[in-house]
Amino acid sequence: MQLILPYFKKNLGKIILGILCMIIVDCTQLAIPHIIKQAVDILAESDFSHDILVHQVLFIVVLGLVMAVLRYFWRILLMGSARDLEKGIRQHLYSHILTLDQHYFNRVKTGDIMAHATSDINHIRMAFGMGIIALTDALLLGTASIAIMLWMNPKLTLAALLPMPLLSFMIRYLGRKMHAFHTSAQESYSELTELIREGFSGIRVLKLFNLEAAVGTKVARYSEHYFKKNLKRATVTAFFRPLMGFFFNLSTGIVLFYGGVLVMDHQISPGELVAFTQYLGILAWPIIAIGWMTNLIQRGLASLKRINALLDARPMVESPRQDSTTPGPDHSKPDTRKHFQRIIFDRVDFGYDPDKPLLSDITLDIPFGSVTGISGPPGSGKTTLVQLIPRIFDTTRGTLRLDDTAVTAMELDTLREMVAFMPQEPFLFSGTIRENILMGRSFSSDRLDHILSVCQLSETIRQMPDGLDTLIGEKGITLSGGQKQRITLARTLIQDKPVTILDDPISQVDTQTASAIIQSLQQHGSGRIMIIISHRMSALSFCDRILVLEEGRITHQGDHDALMTGSHFYRTSFTVQQFQEAHGS
Amino acid sequence: MDPELNTQEAEVKLANLRLIKGIWPFIRPYRWMLAACCALILLITFLDLLIPWFTRLAIDGFILPMDHRSGIRIFGISIAGFTQFAMIFAAVLILTLVIDFFQAVFMEYTGQKIILNLRCTLFKHMTGLAVPFFDNNTSGRLVSRVAGDVENMNEMFTTILVFIFKDLILMAGVFTALFIMNLKLALYASMIIPVIVISIAVSSVFIRKAFRTIRQKIAEINHMFAETLTGVSVIQTMASEKLFNRKFDRLNTEHFHASMYQIRAFAIFMPFISFLSVVGVAIVIYGGSVEVTRLQLTIGELVAFLFYIKLFFRPLRELSEKFSLLQNALASGERIITILEQEPAPLRRITPGQAALESIRTIEFDRVSFAYTEGQPVLHDISFSLAAGQSIGIVGQTGSGKSTIINLLNGFYIPGAGRILINGIDQGEFSMNDIRQRTAMVMQDPVLFSGTIRDNIQSDLPDVPDDQLAQALKHANCDFLFERHQGIDTLIHEGGRPLSSGEKQLVCIARAFAVNPDLIIFDEATSYMDSQSEIKIHDAVSRLMKSRTSIIIAHRLSTVRDCDTIYLMRDGVIREKGSHDALTRLKGEYYHLLEKEKITVHNQ
Repeated sequence: MQLILPYFKKNLGKIILGILCMIIVDCTQLAIPHIIKQAVDILAESDFSHDILVHQVLFIVVLGLVMAVLRYFWRILLMGSARDLEKGIRQHLYSHILTLDQHYFNRVKTGDIMAHATSDINHIRMAFGMGIIALTDALLLGTASIAIMLWMNPKLTLAALLPMPLLSFMIRYLGRKMHAFHTSAQESYSELTELIREGFSGIRVLKLFNLEAAVGTKVARYSEHYFKKNLKRATVTAFFRPLMGFFFNLSTGIVLFYGGVLVMDHQISPGELVAFTQYLGILAWPIIAIGWMTNLIQRGLASLKRINALLDARPMVESPRQDSTTPGPDHSKPDTRKHFQRIIFDRVDFGYDPDKPLLSDITLDIPFGSVTGISGPPGSGKTTLVQLIPRIFDTTRGTLRLDDTAVTAMELDTLREMVAFMPQEPFLFSGTIRENILMGRSFSSDRLDHILSVCQLSETIRQMPDGLDTLIGEKGITLSGGQKQRITLARTLIQDKPVTILDDPISQVDTQTASAIIQSLQQHGSGRIMIIISHRMSALSFCDRILVLEEGRITHQGDHDALMTGSHFYRTSFTVQQFQEAHGS
Repeated sequence: MDPELNTQEAEVKLANLRLIKGIWPFIRPYRWMLAACCALILLITFLDLLIPWFTRLAIDGFILPMDHRSGIRIFGISIAGFTQFAMIFAAVLILTLVIDFFQAVFMEYTGQKIILNLRCTLFKHMTGLAVPFFDNNTSGRLVSRVAGDVENMNEMFTTILVFIFKDLILMAGVFTALFIMNLKLALYASMIIPVIVISIAVSSVFIRKAFRTIRQKIAEINHMFAETLTGVSVIQTMASEKLFNRKFDRLNTEHFHASMYQIRAFAIFMPFISFLSVVGVAIVIYGGSVEVTRLQLTIGELVAFLFYIKLFFRPLRELSEKFSLLQNALASGERIITILEQEPAPLRRITPGQAALESIRTIEFDRVSFAYTEGQPVLHDISFSLAAGQSIGIVGQTGSGKSTIINLLNGFYIPGAGRILINGIDQGEFSMNDIRQRTAMVMQDPVLFSGTIRDNIQSDLPDVPDDQLAQALKHANCDFLFERHQGIDTLIHEGGRPLSSGEKQLVCIARAFAVNPDLIIFDEATSYMDSQSEIKIHDAVSRLMKSRTSIIIAHRLSTVRDCDTIYLMRDGVIREKGSHDALTRLKGEYYHLLEKEKITVHNQ
């Protein structure tokens, strides 16, 4: 409720006006059967007057016109407010997603979040737009028409409404069943979708290993499962409409036959009988609507709960609370930015699961102006180690500091403004190459040209159809792995930040280009802290210090010479590479 | 969830022969069930129309006559008592309920069954398509074909067939009943029909436009959402949240405006239709009253008229909803048919049944040329041969055409010119399945499917014994699976979690080993590897290569130096070939590259 309340407040004027229009429409609607009653009674008593008839008919048409105009207004006012709500929640959700950390994304499937963004938001709009509109309308119209019927003839009204409690019970019962079946069908559907997605994204592997048939069978099995779940849902749904129709017709029947008896006994006029059937006709909509709307609203509330859960998800990685930073008013944020001298890892541990640490007992002191290389076998924790610095994850034990300030005590934005981070697997957004490099910042074209040449991109981009403005991704061209990697590198390097972290920056780039990039990086490294992860010792050759990580621990560190004597891993790797390169010359 | 942006929103015509022809094979097995459904619908419509008729009979036959006893006749059977008539009325209601329910279930069952078959066929068909198809379509788009579009097609059967049959027949039935009762009044009432038709025609132009923009905008929103979810850590580490929030806000606002347009369109159309129904009532009251005083119409008939007018407008109330469903279903249908019409990749290319493949012994490229897009040749006049047990290395810069050679050998693409010979016979004469069964490949990007390690490495031979799989894992240095995970039963999640990139690659290598192939292809397979794992793998590979043929693709010269022959490629042409020693002695391009690689090492 907290989530949608602001939108109600914001659109309060529109909502009140809209509901007012709706009330007038409902009143008008209820007047028409009354006119019909008079017309029929006149006919039954055979005192026909053409003038009265013309009056009556014109009155009906005028009422119709009033209704049409007011309906136009409430639709725009109320449905527009619902769309505003939808827009607001969607934006809220999106910006919230941007604050969540990797812990969250590791735990929650992206498909689930997408479902929140699409169907749940839709459900909320339906529930709080259509649902509440129709429910108000139905309640208003329903109570008013029942009141009029009671006023005309209480006995007949009670008789006509006799089946209604049963109907509302059935609607609620079936609604619950339907919802349960719908949920399980939806679960089965998302499993199926994920399976299909995986099949398509790995299509080459499927083909190479002749797995098409096996995966096809698996998809067929999941489809069959979904079919069964869905049929259950459909069977309950299939009950709904016929049941509504049945109860409505049953009431009509009661009015017709019991009312018929009352007319024969002269307790009501024939016109009243006809008016009764007309009011029942009006009542049919509220009854159907209430059944339908309770489902819609139930579903909307469930969606709201899910979205709320998502919005309640707090990142574990967060800026410090206001009160925790206040004790030391001396370090204002802009100061930290320029003046820190070292990054300090103090007995740092990290692991998603405390029993299986990915990093243990990391102690490091990285001074400003140094270049640090990291190497080690796969899965040894290299990537995790550098991810701790921009706080993609937080340490589970020990502290990570910039000088004396723990990174956790700094504003997240401030910290990240200081760190340029290039992830291991290059990721580009759909858009132009320029957008992907600049990421919304502006740099002089000289700097851009310079960075492009550092990343060996100048020539590549010259050959593209629209140069820097070439579209990439869904609507544009497809880049090779090496090109993606170099663009990601450019995106990282163009930001002139005190800390630059490159996670395996040249793994997909050919040797020639790679060595050119490494050479340019040496100049780029001065006047900041630079950290490079690589498997190629040649890429680390110019580093001031190289760390060897094995099974989450720093087993060795030092310059090349120290490692050659100290680290078995480094020595073997280097010797092999050296031998390979040197052999034959 | 439809992440496509450039949806070709081609106008979908209702009577689309191509669509019907494409879908018919799926409907065919269930045509009698569908026919039965339609018959039931007709019956229900008839029963629906009976209620106002009964009302008329009750009023004219029992309620209004002074003696209340005149009785009525239904289908020739005379009914004397009012109570008796009430019983018949109740019986009709119960019958309607039962038939209506069965019809709905029957329809759902049939529709879902058709959809089930369509989905399985479509998926199998798509995985059977040639690789270029997958280059041109993102996997997100393909998923929405099999998931969302097929789901939309379901509406075709459950909602739309019901719409065409039930609603149109009901509306026609209403006017038939009116004409039977009173010709003149029916003619008056039918004056509103042309107005309805015109207003639907006019408004559908606007409504269709509204739906189309909304669909496009929502697709863009979903695309951006999905992309953000994948790249969220990039956005965060770049501190670009503000930029992305702004971009999203722009899209979101565009969608809002599009939906407001739709609301306005409906705010005019729907109340207008309601107004017409009021006008209909007014016409009936006026004309009816005049006719009653002239004794041309009974009061019961007048009441029945009012009932029928209500019934006539009932389907129109949900018209818009059905209209959008119909549009969606037809658009989805078109997209599905377009895919089903594509020819699957031929398993054999020349004459089927020509050659059986016992084992791959020799491979020869004979002046092969190839271009992905016309006018941009990627390979030019490539010739080389590879004898059993030999190994070749292909090196060159990114984009030099190395991987394309493999794509041709795997049958992902067909050479533009020249021939690929296996055991001296044209590759096209073998079944592609047979070739792939004897080939194993490890690619640059490690791809694992969710499921156990066993599912991932046992290939299409389902009953490979566990110890054999474990052996393959050991060969590929996957000991970590046994030490830190549950061995071959380790569960892999979406995206290969919880394995790291390097570990994933090792598992992919194990998968190649498990196939026990004649030919092994490594395509930059070690780019995520550190040198030590590389050594271990090369160890295992050379053991395996003893009696096997292998092709290694790399941009690092060190990776291929042990190969029997090394081919150096540049710009789609083989520049140099020979053993490592020979090429080094040649002091050509290879030597030059080697020197460059060394400089980087010596630089420390």
